[in-house]
Amino acid sequence: MTTARVTALFLLTAAVALAAVGCSRPTSTGPNSMGAGEQTIRQIGSTTMLPLAEKWRSAFNAKHPAVSIAVSGGGSGTGIKALISKTAEIADSSRDIRPEEVQQAQSAGISPVSSAVALDGVAVIVNPANPLKRISMKTLSDVYTGDVTDWSAAGAPGLGAIQLVSRDSASGTFEVFKEKVVTLDGTDRSRDYAPQALKQTSNEAVLTLVGQTKNAIGYVGLGYVNKSVKVLALAPMKGGASIMPDEATVRDGTYPIARKLYCTTNGQPTGVLKEYMDWIKGPEGQEIVKQLGFVPVGQ
Amino acid sequence: MMRRKWEWLIERLIQLAGVLAIVFVVLIFAFLLKDALPAFREHSLRELFAGQRWSPTSEPAKVSMVPLLLGSLYVTFGALVISVPLGLATAVFIAEVAPARLREALKPTVELLAAIPSVVFGFLGLLLVGPLLARWLHLPVAQFAALGSLMLALMAIPTIVSVSEDAIRAVPRVLRDSSLALGATHWQTISRVVLPAARSGIVAALLLGFGRAVGETMTVLMVTGNAAVIPMGLRGFWRPVETMTATIAAEMGETAYGTPHYHALFAIGLILFVITFVTSTIADLAIRRTLGAAR
Repeated sequence: MTTARVTALFLLTAAVALAAVGCSRPTSTGPNSMGAGEQTIRQIGSTTMLPLAEKWRSAFNAKHPAVSIAVSGGGSGTGIKALISKTAEIADSSRDIRPEEVQQAQSAGISPVSSAVALDGVAVIVNPANPLKRISMKTLSDVYTGDVTDWSAAGAPGLGAIQLVSRDSASGTFEVFKEKVVTLDGTDRSRDYAPQALKQTSNEAVLTLVGQTKNAIGYVGLGYVNKSVKVLALAPMKGGASIMPDEATVRDGTYPIARKLYCTTNGQPTGVLKEYMDWIKGPEGQEIVKQLGFVPVGQ
Repeated sequence: MMRRKWEWLIERLIQLAGVLAIVFVVLIFAFLLKDALPAFREHSLRELFAGQRWSPTSEPAKVSMVPLLLGSLYVTFGALVISVPLGLATAVFIAEVAPARLREALKPTVELLAAIPSVVFGFLGLLLVGPLLARWLHLPVAQFAALGSLMLALMAIPTIVSVSEDAIRAVPRVLRDSSLALGATHWQTISRVVLPAARSGIVAALLLGFGRAVGETMTVLMVTGNAAVIPMGLRGFWRPVETMTATIAAEMGETAYGTPHYHALFAIGLILFVITFVTSTIADLAIRRTLGAAR
């Protein structure tokens, strides 16, 4: 065997051994004080917030080129998990943090502090070929539990069977919709999504599918709505006129499926992280929130 | 003197690398087993394998693997139905029929198919092939089991072609020449002499293709619709399903550690591991038999 081959083999074995050892050491990142040398912020979580996070990152980077911000999705649940395992500094979530998650965080030495950075409505969408304009919360809930399966019982006769489009369970949007619509605002927790609901992995995928399928119904974050789908007005549970989701109705709570979008950190943010969070909640960050179709969190 | 010591050292290092491979497999199995076993205590075997619904987040939780097992089965079976004839025919063509120059061009092209990332196939299925097929065949929705089968077939074909082709080439010239000398035509030689002789290797190729298809995650996550419904009859191929792999990928992200949902997902992982391990082992034994038969 030539010397070159011997060396290569030796290096390969060493690499394998190192990898095996290296993988058992936990990632050591301190809590949120960004000291002088360390300027990396990892922001992980909600896919609803992903376009927001990306725009925030590029705008903030333009002013602070020394800070490196890495943004990724995966769903609200994934983001919170990442915060707990210290692989993210900011967890984006489109739902409240759950008590079990708070417990897990605390036993891992993390104290989660959530900050509302925007408001969002969850729009109920149908294909533009669907004549329906409004739907009551109760009917919508029955549609999603599978109790109503034909469009004729939901107010759009002639369209045939309802094709349900939903999200996967890592999604905050999925959670909010389940809480506010499927379980009838938490009053009947035994209700659940019908098994025939197609679980899509992002808001975009839901949008595409509903835009392509004539008899489909789905739900997406308000910021994602575009011309390829039609938004339905919702009649709230307690009765009253149907409300379309927009900035005003989300902010004053009249639109039934509204929620806060959160950025959660380990403890109160300090240093560069604090600067970033303050900037997000400040006029520039909130202007971006508005641009993308979300609702700025009021003063 | 020095050379002897060097040799010994290198041999030990290579041994270490080989042993590490086995260690990794054993550790993965142990890791899966540790978190999957509680699932078998938390749910009766009847519920797990005879129930109707996979709904671990409802109250009360309904944890049956039946819709997921059938989903994977439908998608994988469909993939094999497409990829086995195509793959074998391509392998025979490359090994026996194609002129040398065409063979040189064809082999790398098929291997290129194997290099395409699975998420790209997912994209193609989701945005192009799915809507097209749904329109032509008047399907209710553009995400269904057969679409997964089709994209998986594209991924399984290179595996099947590669291994089958090697098996066919490994058949000794003597057998071919004798057959032709006795007056058989080329096709008769291929179908009655060469292919039976390469039988074990071809079976190995098919099993490896199967393993590839059943373990694929990203593509099926994007194109099969992820509706954990039990598929029925032939129509089930044209309706959404959910595979075992997609379930793990979609739900692991939000599951809290140590919960029954967590254990149920690990149980699915364990079953997947066992399926692929068993098929790979059989495939490996079959390959050894073919190569050994080159007498």
